[in-house]
Amino acid sequence: MSEAIVKLTGINIYQSKNLILSGVNLQIDKGEFVYLIGKTGSGKSSLLKMIYGDVELVEGEGHVAGFSLNNLKKKQVPYLRRRLGIVFQDFQLLTDRSINDNLLFVLKATGWNDKSKMLSRVNEVLEKVHLTTKGFKMPHELSGGEQQRVVIARALLNDPELILADEPTGNLDPETSDSIMRLLFEISNSGRAVLMATHNYSLMDKFPARTIKCENGKITEELQSA
Amino acid sequence: MTETNSGTKRLQSSYFSSIVSISLVLFMLGLLGMLVLDARKISDYVKEHVQLNVFLNDELSDQEISAFQSILEKEAAIKSLRFISKQEALDSLKKDLGTDATGMLDINPLPSSFELKLKAEFTDAETLKKLAAEIRENKMVREVTYQQTEVDKMNENFQVIAFGILLFCVLLFFVAVALINSTIRIAMYSKRFLIKSMQLVGATKSFIRKPFLARALVHGLYAGFIACLLLGGLLYLLSTKLPELVQIQDLKANGILFAGIIVLGVLLSVISTFFAVNRYLRVRVEELY
Repeated sequence: MSEAIVKLTGINIYQSKNLILSGVNLQIDKGEFVYLIGKTGSGKSSLLKMIYGDVELVEGEGHVAGFSLNNLKKKQVPYLRRRLGIVFQDFQLLTDRSINDNLLFVLKATGWNDKSKMLSRVNEVLEKVHLTTKGFKMPHELSGGEQQRVVIARALLNDPELILADEPTGNLDPETSDSIMRLLFEISNSGRAVLMATHNYSLMDKFPARTIKCENGKITEELQSA
Repeated sequence: MTETNSGTKRLQSSYFSSIVSISLVLFMLGLLGMLVLDARKISDYVKEHVQLNVFLNDELSDQEISAFQSILEKEAAIKSLRFISKQEALDSLKKDLGTDATGMLDINPLPSSFELKLKAEFTDAETLKKLAAEIRENKMVREVTYQQTEVDKMNENFQVIAFGILLFCVLLFFVAVALINSTIRIAMYSKRFLIKSMQLVGATKSFIRKPFLARALVHGLYAGFIACLLLGGLLYLLSTKLPELVQIQDLKANGILFAGIIVLGVLLSVISTFFAVNRYLRVRVEELY
């Protein structure tokens, strides 16, 4: 059961020539749920960016979802991202089209072409986030929590091995946050790894899991608080 | 629901304004293109209106006049000629001065004359001088006149004007490209997050580009057609005011110009969009704000 989805060894992460994190060693296994904590500017998002191929790997060795981050060609980045599900605050739904079209767009963009298979896949993921009836709505017609569920559904479309989530409960009320967290744990229990960056410590108390911390240019393993 | 409507409206109006600005720029370019196309024809037209007046001695018989006319008609430089009799000359003077003033005249002091129109290639100062001298040698001729200085000036000016137009053309073309480019870039700027989102879900660059380029193609076509309509309308309006303009219009050249405008519109729109989209495909997330 220790199949590594993410394996980083001795990585230094730079952002415009400043060393942000050094000597990063991190392994995330299949089905694992990991919190990533640390102050703003501590390098959390740079670490996430490195994992999804937005920051080039210059020092160290990295493997993500079967891709080597060393010598990762720009052309390969889209294919790496298809193996990941990205749930970010900034990257909301495409506001100019309905929920169904949002999900269909992702399928089309990632190389699906059988219309009926695409539709049934869209229904499958909407079922997983309990939103089957909302497919024809526009994004702004949904509540914040519902939109976040759709974003999670979108991340699930290509059956990714790893979900990267950056403050997925950021603007949500506690109850909605809880339901999103339960959803993420469901996903992780179904065999996918989840790496979630957050500041919300009360949520972490409620849903305990392995925690890593970015601090002073290093990442460290936090002891389980539970 | 209202939000959707205003959103779509905003989107449509940004497309609308970019189409309008592209078509206006194309219209300006087309106008200039037309000017260049016609400049040569206009210059020929004006040059062929340079006229030589050959005043004849009085008391020439009709035979002598028509014999002289046939001699003139054989002259290679002459495009057309018109005989103006003493009476016609007087009538036109009367018309110019008003009836009152001519009442004083008992006799008709005006000579009969030939009005010669020349072919464009014979209107340079040198040839004109030679031709006038040649005609003056004839005994029947009292005087030959033409506007020497005007002809000289005109010949000089055409070169300066042609060069000026060309320079202006090049300048305007660069302004046009810059304007269209920035219009499209602004339109793309509003899509920067959309482009980034598409990248994050694993869409390839060419997949993201395709719909933008397709739309740019359609917009370029629209803009080109609008510019052509405007040009055609202007041409029609001018031709009702200036019927001479119709004579110098070359339909084939105009057709090529119109096709060129449409092609240019499509090319500019598609190429600018390509670079604008690429810019946002390359840029990092932090730089978007």
